[in-house]
Amino acid sequence: MAGEIPYTEIFHIFAAAVVCFVIYVSIDLLFRLPEKGGVRGADAIGKSIESAGGDLNGGFMMGNIVCSPDASAGTLLAACGVYTFGIAGGLVAAVLVFIGNKICYDKGYAGTTGAIVATFVIYALSEYAGFSPEQFIAGMVIAILVIQGISQKYASRLLGALWRIRS
Amino acid sequence: MIAAAVTAVIAVYAVIRIIAEKETLRKFTYLNVMNFAIAATIPLLISDPLALIAAVAYFVGSTLESNAIASAYAVRRDGK
Repeated sequence: MAGEIPYTEIFHIFAAAVVCFVIYVSIDLLFRLPEKGGVRGADAIGKSIESAGGDLNGGFMMGNIVCSPDASAGTLLAACGVYTFGIAGGLVAAVLVFIGNKICYDKGYAGTTGAIVATFVIYALSEYAGFSPEQFIAGMVIAILVIQGISQKYASRLLGALWRIRS
Repeated sequence: MIAAAVTAVIAVYAVIRIIAEKETLRKFTYLNVMNFAIAATIPLLISDPLALIAAVAYFVGSTLESNAIASAYAVRRDGK
């Protein structure tokens, strides 16, 4: 083991990150997260990102991701659920995300939808395509890092551009 | 094991970005990355079925905190 680099696992983690990115960004766009800041905090974060040279709609979506469990949280917790209990675990995670949404006064169902969709996608890819659920857990953290953790300016512009295509 | 290493390294990276960011409201997206990374690390490191519940509880709780702090900060700053 010592000295061997597990290229296959590293490749799988990056492929899983791409799958998670597509799942959560498309569901968040579908549920109109970039349209407006759902709560006052999300609204303020969006405006703050805009003042740093970013896009307002992209900033709203980033603020909404911070302030309530959205599809990205659903995808991460579904991956954790599938990792511990299989499909049943993913669906337990979906129920818990739904409760989380209610606690955060979220009217949308992006988080629950994301968790249910991600459960089936992650289970199918783990069962038939050689992935493992833990690769999706790491992949989802990389996917959220791309949007929230590298450059707020460019990530918000990317999300704003995707939002204008969607609307 | 690689998956846990990736999430742990991203958590540390996010903490460095939180410390480096000057504007309070813009710290929150990095804080969000840290919460994701820690919630992901919990079931990867603890091999117990209840780790799922712990991860969800941590994540929902931390999201609620971020929501409350960002909203309270915005209200105070705008004086409304």
